[in-house]
Amino acid sequence: MKISFPYMGTVLVYKKLLQLLGHEVIIPPRPTKRTIDLGVKYSPEFACFPFKVIMGTYIEACEMGVDTIVSSGGFGPCRAGFYGEIHRRILKSLGYDIDLIILDQPLQDKNFLKKVKFLKGNNSWLDVIKAVKFTYRLIQEIDRFEKEIYRLMPYETEPGQAKKAWNSIQAEFDQAIDQAGLERAKERSLDILKSIKVHEIPEKDKIRIGIVGEIYVVMEPSINMDMEELLCKLGCEVERSQYLSEWVDHNLLPNIFKKSRDAMFIEKGKPYIGRAIGGHAQQSVGAIVDFKDRNFDGIIHLMPFACLPELISQSIIPRISKEHNIPVLTLAIDEQTGQTNALTRIEAFIDLVRNKKASVNIA
Amino acid sequence: MKIGIPRALLYFYYGPFWESFFKRLGLNVVISDSTNKAIINRGIKVAVPEICVPIKILAGHYLTLAQQNVDYIFVPRMVSIRKRQFFCPKFMGLPDMVKHSLNFKEKILTCDVVSDNSNISNYRNYLPLAEKLGKTKKDIKIAAQEAEKDWLQFRKFTQLGYPAPKAYELMVKGLNPVKINPKPGQIRIGLLGYVYNMYDPYISLGIFDILQENNVHVTTFDMFSENELRNVTGNMSKVLFWTFSNYLLEAGLHLFNSDQVDGIIHLTAFGCGPDSFLGKLFELESEKKGIPFMTVRVDEHTGENHLVTRVEAFTDMLKRSKAV
Ligand code: SF4
Ligand code: SF4
Repeated sequence: MKISFPYMGTVLVYKKLLQLLGHEVIIPPRPTKRTIDLGVKYSPEFACFPFKVIMGTYIEACEMGVDTIVSSGGFGPCRAGFYGEIHRRILKSLGYDIDLIILDQPLQDKNFLKKVKFLKGNNSWLDVIKAVKFTYRLIQEIDRFEKEIYRLMPYETEPGQAKKAWNSIQAEFDQAIDQAGLERAKERSLDILKSIKVHEIPEKDKIRIGIVGEIYVVMEPSINMDMEELLCKLGCEVERSQYLSEWVDHNLLPNIFKKSRDAMFIEKGKPYIGRAIGGHAQQSVGAIVDFKDRNFDGIIHLMPFACLPELISQSIIPRISKEHNIPVLTLAIDEQTGQTNALTRIEAFIDLVRNKKASVNIA
Repeated sequence: MKIGIPRALLYFYYGPFWESFFKRLGLNVVISDSTNKAIINRGIKVAVPEICVPIKILAGHYLTLAQQNVDYIFVPRMVSIRKRQFFCPKFMGLPDMVKHSLNFKEKILTCDVVSDNSNISNYRNYLPLAEKLGKTKKDIKIAAQEAEKDWLQFRKFTQLGYPAPKAYELMVKGLNPVKINPKPGQIRIGLLGYVYNMYDPYISLGIFDILQENNVHVTTFDMFSENELRNVTGNMSKVLFWTFSNYLLEAGLHLFNSDQVDGIIHLTAFGCGPDSFLGKLFELESEKKGIPFMTVRVDEHTGENHLVTRVEAFTDMLKRSKAV
């Protein structure tokens, strides 16, 4: 059995979990123009963009001989919850005979246990718990390092250093298969991080940008113009509203001990969007407020073209931007996202943020 | 006191309840005009460009009402009318969007609407309005109970086969119409679309009339009762999150599988997210069942001629194959 998954963010963690459970894993290719073209060709015209990219990824995975794909259903609740149903039908009509296993929230899915048992394979439940716990720690560590990387990258003395460091760090963690390995990877990664040489920039000249929006376009660099790197190259520190570990915190773990960051975003989003409306709209607007509270200087709001909930946030953002005095640039992402046009808009936006900060500094 | 209700969106499903409810509270109800060019243009100007046509039109109706000297405009937050299912995000976020992007914050009259079936007359939903309207809990309760009767009557008439605006009229007039059945030999078409697309003559370009002029018997999702459709999607491992989309899905699967229609038209508005998936499911079902299927997608500029031509060509085709 060859098993794969949709491509989103730091894929090594999905690979790790499945491998620890003893599955033969095939990592799908990072989405390319071809992936997107395939996805667009075989998806309903007005399907959301993440649906199309994932469609393309599945087709490419099938071409690589995968026979099972595991995905999560409830990145929503929105259309995403239904992706699997349509993906499955389209793959079938294309003649790919594969198992598409969609894991939903345990309480809403009658077949949840069956699916988990399948993934469990011959492992004991104890081993499964161990593997899950280990993967969770792994995600947390990786996310922590990723955040650091994009905080340092804008100031690197030698272009490309931070990116290279990030790749080495991922390679380090890829080696880890147990707690001791994880500790080792952590230590080495800290050294790698320290080796990045940076210019000293006075605090008042630092520009911090928050990225908010729909989870897939926020988390997957291959389809969002490598937004984090791009902003770093323009001299900005960057943080996203979504990281995988936080998604896990919010969706899979009971919030008894600590409030997840998502829950905090929702709290801050409530004055603008009174209740959960699907997708991540409430989080998006809440994250804007939160970034401002933490003295960020500007926000990039990423949404898939015509994304239902994010259209609501988009409608409200001008008001938030005004009330909280923080510039926001909304970018709709789809297969036609004109790189040059978007790039010009982003550059102009960063100039505006910089000028705004400079004028405040003078005053 | 004057309450404005837009003749848009769920007006074509819940209008009879809301209008009756406010009237029975002794309030004046102003319903905006049928969608026209001016209304649409107003909406287009304020709405984000990529949003679906029905929401743009709705925004236009709100702005029109805001200029009409009403005290309040009713902007309910439609949350759920079925267990664990919701409304399209645009309905659920509507009061937020209206409050933060249109300029009549003070006039917004809103409450959350939650029910476990399509009957939304539980008075508790409307208690948050009591203070603004200067009414007591008891007033609200009685008005809701009375309005419920009107709404049930209206729903009964749509289930007899009358398009919603006609059923509304029959209810108001207190008539007692008979069931509409297809005449022998008549072409039968299932028209699948949201109420605000089918019954807003500006969006649908009168597709109902066109079909009827062509001697077609039309069936829509709201001509079924909730119970008739309940188990249709039983063998799907998952349905959509949105109840009205699921009504369409259920009605569609039912029509494709029950030998009640000769062809099916999916009427959808530009920019509708849920319909992108629904449409695909219908398309696949049509291939499986061999029942002709056509998608009509309308936007703010659809030309009437174009639509008439396509619909007529489709019915002609059905007539020819039925004659054989
Ligand atoms: S949140 Fe947006 S992208 Fe995600 S399923 Fe909903 S409409 Fe599609
Ligand atoms: S269901 Fe479609 S047409 Fe209706 S509000 Fe939602 S996106 Fe718009």
